[in-house]
Amino acid sequence: MILCTAILSGCEKDDFCTKDPVTPKLVLRFYDANDRDQLKKTERLSIWAAGKDTIPTYRSVALDSVAIPLNTTTIETVYHLKINDFDGNLASNETATLTIQYTPEEEFVSRSCGFRVIFNRCSFFVRYKLDSRFYPCSSHNDRQSNHSTCSDIPLVLFSCWFVRLGMLKRKQWKFHQ
Amino acid sequence: MEVPSVEKDSLVYKTAYGLRLGADISKPILASFNGNYTGFELVADYRINKKIYVAAEIGFEEKTSVEEYSNSTSKGNYIRVGFNYNAYDNWLDMNNEIFTGVRYGLGIFDQTLNSYTPNVNSLYFPSESINASITDSGLTAHWTEFIVGIKVETLRNLFVSTSISYKIVLAVNDPENFKTLFAPGFGRIFESGTGFGFNYTISYLIPFTKK
Repeated sequence: MILCTAILSGCEKDDFCTKDPVTPKLVLRFYDANDRDQLKKTERLSIWAAGKDTIPTYRSVALDSVAIPLNTTTIETVYHLKINDFDGNLASNETATLTIQYTPEEEFVSRSCGFRVIFNRCSFFVRYKLDSRFYPCSSHNDRQSNHSTCSDIPLVLFSCWFVRLGMLKRKQWKFHQ
Repeated sequence: MEVPSVEKDSLVYKTAYGLRLGADISKPILASFNGNYTGFELVADYRINKKIYVAAEIGFEEKTSVEEYSNSTSKGNYIRVGFNYNAYDNWLDMNNEIFTGVRYGLGIFDQTLNSYTPNVNSLYFPSESINASITDSGLTAHWTEFIVGIKVETLRNLFVSTSISYKIVLAVNDPENFKTLFAPGFGRIFESGTGFGFNYTISYLIPFTKK
């Protein structure tokens, strides 16, 4: 009898969560600072949140797109990014700080996927640190920027890269690696 | 030459008509194995002609659905009413059945979201389980059922029956920002709005007349 019930209810599609990711991630796409339509791979990019270790998958990597999680238990996530296209030495690191603020809200998705977190009233500001080396690609000097949305925001984080910022829901962004 | 006419057998075997009352014994058994479930169901049917019975079930169920990202409890009462059609031709005065049936079902229940863990798909910022205890009361579910089963008269007027059913939701209330994962009388509601049921009943026929 129990076996019978188990067989009948065994394998419906709602047993497996097929959405990935369920909770949106913040996406950064890196473009050439001098050709803003051209994706450009980073050099020795590392990403870590304030007070945490480097994200294991983003430790000194060469990628043109990254998707990073936001802390769903707070209203703010502070990320530090490091890039080095010079010689890899500490002295020539270029760093930027990206602060994202939002109101997290839990939203039910399905039995198998559970609740996701969506980020409302998203805003962020950026602080550059451009004083550690010579910057060959551009000479912009706007060192802070503020936005009241987190969708498709263009910003300059590094001298040789132009960055677009968006939220990854489902797999709508294609990653070039 | 005259062919002798075959005399028609004039002996007619009569079977009992009456009210049959019983209980689903699978639910208490299931409850004794599964700490997340309790249930009780009374069944009744009434024969209206040779093949057709009016049938109804009433019951109570409480079930805690333990999912990867949520834990919720549904609790309430239900009723199902409909017909069974006996497709089995009995020998002599036997009164067994291979039947098919249809039901309309109505469940009235509460659902409590006990706890949940937001699915943040990130080990970098892990989420923690949140105790919610959010109860939505007076939820209803309406559904139809298609049943196949057998009934065997084991002792005089005592029947053992087993059946399985396929259920389709007509309408169901979902709690705000959540979903009815289980409705009493219906069982687990699948993503497609369907479900399955199983019954194992023992019932007693109170004969009114023989036809």
